[in-house]
Amino acid sequence: MKKIFDLFLSLKLTVILLALSMVLVFAGTLAQVDKGIWTVMDQYFRCIIAWIELPVFFPRHLNIPNVRIPFPGGFLIGFLLTINLLAVHMSNFKVLATGGRRVAGFMVLLLGILVTVGVMFGWGTAPVAATESDAFWRVFLRLGRGTLAAVVLYGACVLLYRKRAGMVLLHGGILFLLIGEFATAQFAVEARMTIKEGETVNYLDRSQELELAFIESSNSDYDKVTVLPQRMLREGKVIESDVLPFKVKVHRYMVNSNRPQPLESMSEAAKAAYPQYEGYGSRLYVAEQREVSGATGAINAPAVDVELLDRNSGASLGRYVMSLWFYPNFVNRAWDMPTNFSIDGRDFTSYFRFKREYLASPSGSPYSIKLLDFVHEKYEGTQMPKDFASRILLVNEGDDVERELRIWMNNPLRYARRTFYQSGYLPDDSGTVLQVVRNDTWMIPYLACMIVFVGMTAQFVQSLGRYLRRDA
Amino acid sequence: MPKPFIHLIAILFAAWFFQMGVKPPEETAADFQLNAFAHLPVKFEGRKKPVDTMARNLLTVLSGKQSVRAEDGTKTSAVQWLLDNMSGRPEALDYPVIRIENLDVLTNLGLEERKRLRYSYRELLPNLGRLDSAARSAYAKQDRNRDLYDRQVIKLANKLYLFQNVLGSFEDPSAIPAEQLMATAQRYMRLEGMSIPLMIPPTAGNERWRPLMSTLLAAHPAMTGAAAGHDIAVEPLAVHMGVMMGAYREGNVDLFNSELMEYGNLLQAENPEAFHKMSFEVFYNRLSTFMKSAQLYLLVFVLSCFGWLFRKDGLLSAARTLMIFAFIPHTFAIIARVFLSGYPPVTNLYSSAIFIGWAAVGAGIVIELGFRRRAAGIGNMVGGTAGFATLLIAHFLAGDGDTMEQMRAVLDTRFWLATHVITITLGYMATFVSGTIAVFYVFSGLLTRRLDDETADGMYRMMYGTTCFALLLSFVGTVLGGLWADDSWGRFWGWDPKENGALLIVIWNAIMLHARYGKMVQRRGFAVMAIFGNVVTAWSWFGVNQLSVGLHSYGFTDSASFWLMIFVLSQLVFVAAGLLPVRIWRSRPGADTACR
Repeated sequence: MKKIFDLFLSLKLTVILLALSMVLVFAGTLAQVDKGIWTVMDQYFRCIIAWIELPVFFPRHLNIPNVRIPFPGGFLIGFLLTINLLAVHMSNFKVLATGGRRVAGFMVLLLGILVTVGVMFGWGTAPVAATESDAFWRVFLRLGRGTLAAVVLYGACVLLYRKRAGMVLLHGGILFLLIGEFATAQFAVEARMTIKEGETVNYLDRSQELELAFIESSNSDYDKVTVLPQRMLREGKVIESDVLPFKVKVHRYMVNSNRPQPLESMSEAAKAAYPQYEGYGSRLYVAEQREVSGATGAINAPAVDVELLDRNSGASLGRYVMSLWFYPNFVNRAWDMPTNFSIDGRDFTSYFRFKREYLASPSGSPYSIKLLDFVHEKYEGTQMPKDFASRILLVNEGDDVERELRIWMNNPLRYARRTFYQSGYLPDDSGTVLQVVRNDTWMIPYLACMIVFVGMTAQFVQSLGRYLRRDA
Repeated sequence: MPKPFIHLIAILFAAWFFQMGVKPPEETAADFQLNAFAHLPVKFEGRKKPVDTMARNLLTVLSGKQSVRAEDGTKTSAVQWLLDNMSGRPEALDYPVIRIENLDVLTNLGLEERKRLRYSYRELLPNLGRLDSAARSAYAKQDRNRDLYDRQVIKLANKLYLFQNVLGSFEDPSAIPAEQLMATAQRYMRLEGMSIPLMIPPTAGNERWRPLMSTLLAAHPAMTGAAAGHDIAVEPLAVHMGVMMGAYREGNVDLFNSELMEYGNLLQAENPEAFHKMSFEVFYNRLSTFMKSAQLYLLVFVLSCFGWLFRKDGLLSAARTLMIFAFIPHTFAIIARVFLSGYPPVTNLYSSAIFIGWAAVGAGIVIELGFRRRAAGIGNMVGGTAGFATLLIAHFLAGDGDTMEQMRAVLDTRFWLATHVITITLGYMATFVSGTIAVFYVFSGLLTRRLDDETADGMYRMMYGTTCFALLLSFVGTVLGGLWADDSWGRFWGWDPKENGALLIVIWNAIMLHARYGKMVQRRGFAVMAIFGNVVTAWSWFGVNQLSVGLHSYGFTDSASFWLMIFVLSQLVFVAAGLLPVRIWRSRPGADTACR
């Protein structure tokens, strides 16, 4: 027991853990040659045990057997490092101050924490924050607020730890950064918004989650939407629901599928093995293909192969393949391929699509974004993009907001705990694609960066001073 | 020799060395005024630049050099080469400027391998069709299915397409018969969709830069007739330029020179802004600082090695002065690039190399001047090696064309370029400096008796100090990079290859410091770790960029991957050398206590 305790108190463990993390990061980087970034993140970094695949370390044409090696994952290494850091600091860095100095130290520490929390939760920022004029100073000011918090905390550390103030502060900053990243991994949500010029949109496409949506359009004055979330779509499962007049049997779930090809262009062998589908699947070839490489920045296009069954008899009502390729927002509105069918005289339109989330501010009132104008500037005489910008109208009647705003490269809009980034555009510049992120801890890296910077600088300046005095 | 005298010689030598090539060759009234022509502004690849720069860049893309050397050794300047080509002189086809290294490509084009690997356009002409179809079939393949031959074919074809497009934009349409005008106009429209030089600057009547061929087409007699009622203005600048080209083709010196004069005067009157920065950029080109500084740094390194090994103070201080006076133009050239491009100093791999070199030499100077007693020449050696190596790398990276390219939309933010990029690059630099000192440590310890206790201690402290800086800079730089990502697409940390590369440097520097604080390593162990830092840094600087292609089926065949591998292997050899048992080391600094 004492041995384990001593291990956590030693810098050897720190070095070992850091070395392990290097191997993990290196392997996770190489793995992105074959795999999508989100797959790698789950397999290597955001897990307790990572499975490193041996072939990632070798050129791919050598055909190394796919041996999977268990390895401490990102969460495990991070957790052990945290314990190690705390243990070393508790035992080696005791509070040195006594009496009044100690009290003052704790007071300043409290103040520092208050400032940090204040900065984190948006002290001094507008509720609708978009860059209006000088983009340069915007980030600068944000770092400045971080520096303010860091300096106050440094003051507290000087009072409490004297010469070791910088050391304590910088490791505190690292810890803060790790906590922030853990929170981001757990809670941040990424989504996209596709808007054509002149269109008003009030929903997001969640990038990491999918759903199978059935929209019943039989009623003239409203549509009834039923969605089956991604986690229900397991192969072989039969899904039943009171609100649907049919059962859904999942034949296959494809992590990535090819861009649909005309069925007649395929080889005879491929055609023979291809299931008999209704709808687009009867004319188009959709099949599973290997995951896209994270190094290229492409994203997977999952697809499902489902069969609709009669609720009572279980008889087949048709088998459909539905790919994300059919969903207009995935293909930048190049086409729209809904799967239509009727059952018991009720008309359905169906998509396999990104999970849809409707926009609402924290007070609960819905809002929408209208794209007034999209500008795509190029450098003169080249095809190289110079700027992308969306001029939008943000309307939230419940909160009495109606603002015309500009979102452009590196200059997002922050509103209602979400941030809207210029991300892409539709063919012929007919519309915009915004990346929409909700991450309540997004300010932590700004703070942590400045805290570590102040701590490290203080420590190194101190050592350098000592060195110069000795050299003189 | 007395010291001031040594310094003076070093300074005079550097001054003489740098002035070479700055002054253009003498031109008499009987010559074409090439010097004046080189100063004319043109907009190409999104940036206004003098014809001189365009000519040098194009020539670099094709041949890897900034001037043409014929088989018989005669030299031709880039501007003359370009003017010969754009005016359509038949002998322009004979310049041996197209560099082809790949044997398969050469065979396919029916060419023999020759010593300088450079071929003329005329030699390629009979087989251009074959090259084109090979390139098309290579394009049609998916990236990961392309083999070395495909990639080389694509590379060569892209160079030739670029060259053809550039020449196409200087075509003279005046001789085209009226019935082909519509077809020509359509061809020009297509060409305008490509990246071509826009030779005619904005004037009072037109606010855009325009390519020569289209503006000349508008001046075509049949065109103005056909478009009666459509008010197509004839651009006098274009007419002067057109006549100039014709005069050059025919060898009419007087006409060329007078038209050039008129063109200049007219442009000066219409749009004096267009000439802004032009002569400065031509001066910058002719100074070719980086090449010269590289050569001087090499000299510094050689001098310092001798001076250090044999403890010759005169040699060391001469080398130091020389280093400082190679550093001053180096600094000037970086500032000039900032002034010319309007961007912070580091915007692409090329500029990162010259900046890392600059900062490393700066660090060497600080070490020399700040810690003179302990450094005793180490700073010279570090500055010399790092300066030479990085400028050499930069030289090989310059082959892609304009090194002052415009930034794509997402990268075009002065704030992040000025903070994140500079900090992270300085982090690379500090890691390399520490690693370079470590290489000297291992070398001198293993092979010479020079590494006595005091020297070993001094070098250890220098390594430790630079590693502290490296950790600070690489940490802050990496986090700033994450903040940029957060500001651009809302993901502070996405585990993407470039971020991971930077993270590895941070972790490695942290490991080094913790190993030292935990007394797990001392001088020698620290030096060995610092050498490995070179590997980590090189990998994140270059290796990550190779990932998308380098690890695919035919990995490590591209030259950058190849040299990276060589570098990594060499560093691993140094690591192994550093780990050799102490008893075979020739130096035993502090043998009784601390040589671990």
